[in-house]
Amino acid sequence: MIPEDLSYSEQHEWIRAEGKVGTVGITDHAQDALGDVTFVELPVTGAELAKGQEACAIESTKAAVSVYAPVSGKVVEANAELEDDPGLVNSSPYGDGWIYKIELSAPAELTSLMDAAQYGDFLATEGGH
Amino acid sequence: MASKTVLYDRHVAFGARVVDFSGWLLPAQYESVLAEHRHCRTSAAVFDTSHMRQFVLRGPAAAGQLGRIGTQDAEALSVGRCQYGFLLNEDAGVIDDTILMRLGDEEFLLVVNAGPGAGDLEWLRSHMRGNVELADQSTGGWGKVDLQGPASARALLSLVDVDLAGMAYFSVARARCCGRDCIISRTGYTGELGYEIMATGEDLGTIFDELLANPAVKPAGLGARDSLRLEMAYPLYGHELSTAHDPIEAGLAAFAKPDRDFIGSARLRTLEQAGPRRRLVAFRAESRRRTNPGNEIRYGSRAVGIVTSGAFSPSLEVSIGMGYVEADLAESGQELLVDTGRCELAVMVCDKPLYRNGTCRTKDTL
Repeated sequence: MIPEDLSYSEQHEWIRAEGKVGTVGITDHAQDALGDVTFVELPVTGAELAKGQEACAIESTKAAVSVYAPVSGKVVEANAELEDDPGLVNSSPYGDGWIYKIELSAPAELTSLMDAAQYGDFLATEGGH
Repeated sequence: MASKTVLYDRHVAFGARVVDFSGWLLPAQYESVLAEHRHCRTSAAVFDTSHMRQFVLRGPAAAGQLGRIGTQDAEALSVGRCQYGFLLNEDAGVIDDTILMRLGDEEFLLVVNAGPGAGDLEWLRSHMRGNVELADQSTGGWGKVDLQGPASARALLSLVDVDLAGMAYFSVARARCCGRDCIISRTGYTGELGYEIMATGEDLGTIFDELLANPAVKPAGLGARDSLRLEMAYPLYGHELSTAHDPIEAGLAAFAKPDRDFIGSARLRTLEQAGPRRRLVAFRAESRRRTNPGNEIRYGSRAVGIVTSGAFSPSLEVSIGMGYVEADLAESGQELLVDTGRCELAVMVCDKPLYRNGTCRTKDTL
């Protein structure tokens, strides 16, 4: 199931915006495609990221991939739990497996992201590979 | 077009992620590489290894010819025993690593890798002299499954007609399994107690099904097979071994003793005298961050080697790997750096194997 209350990027990140801060993770589809996550290189707190810029990286038993910023802003927190338990990205991609929080510098960018229905359609077409 | 093994439909039915490995469609994983790895270490896992080639050599000259072409001393090998070794070229470069099994006075089985297999067969044919019949039984419908893990003898016991408790490490026997003719060897690639079972076509399917009917046994894919072998610092052909490497620098001189004449033995004697310039090492990091084949290994800022395999170790819960480094930096405890492309990762050279609790040599199999 794709949670209704989140926004989605074409790189399979989700963001939950609450006020000026958004929580970012990767989608269930993305974690399933990656396989067991073995390491998360967390972003540096304070880093300024432009929308679409690489924020950090994830390694799995199958691949190493980049995680991008779905919107512009400043990293205000990284999920330190993932250092010892990166498997949270697999077991709880929309919950305890969140990766970082970003202070939005351009909240209007959220409207450029997909909602749950659009992301579902996206997966059914090109994003489903 | 990649080939399907006889077990292909079963892998698909189990929901496996299938990949092309050396021209064969094989499961990379079923549900989880980590879970499959851990299940093999703690219970028993079954792997489809039907991509490997099985050469049968028969005839009065078989032992002498095998001992002249490969590094195993086939004439000294007892019936019912297996030996690891190599096919080398004249420069002592590794054409393939193999397991030689002696099934009878004049009958041998040589199990080789999928990738180099066709070249191996050509090499054997072109160098064989005298009265030897050579056939590839894997193209005649034979496949193989590997049952590996501390529970594997218990899982196999009721299905076979051989004395499993009396079957020593690196022994082999013709047997019946699930009422089907097969060849069983107590060998494997995981470091755990285990058996390789060779049978034809649907007989192999029946054996696979019967093994998995036991709740202690689960299927495992190539992903787990790779992390299991890397924890044991076993070489993988194409990574640690190739014609660009010789057995001495690979740390495998014990399996290529040039005390007799075979192809490459003269060169090995020269290399033995000179000592290797580089050595294959196993290493581990404090971090979970993985290294990858091709990553540069450094000592300070100086390039001193190259990573051949890297993975996250599910048993040790850190990043592990193997690579070739300058010989004087190959001692256990040596600290080195690996350029992963994203950072310089601190690693330490370690004794092999990296995982030390494997059950492969246990005498208490049941």
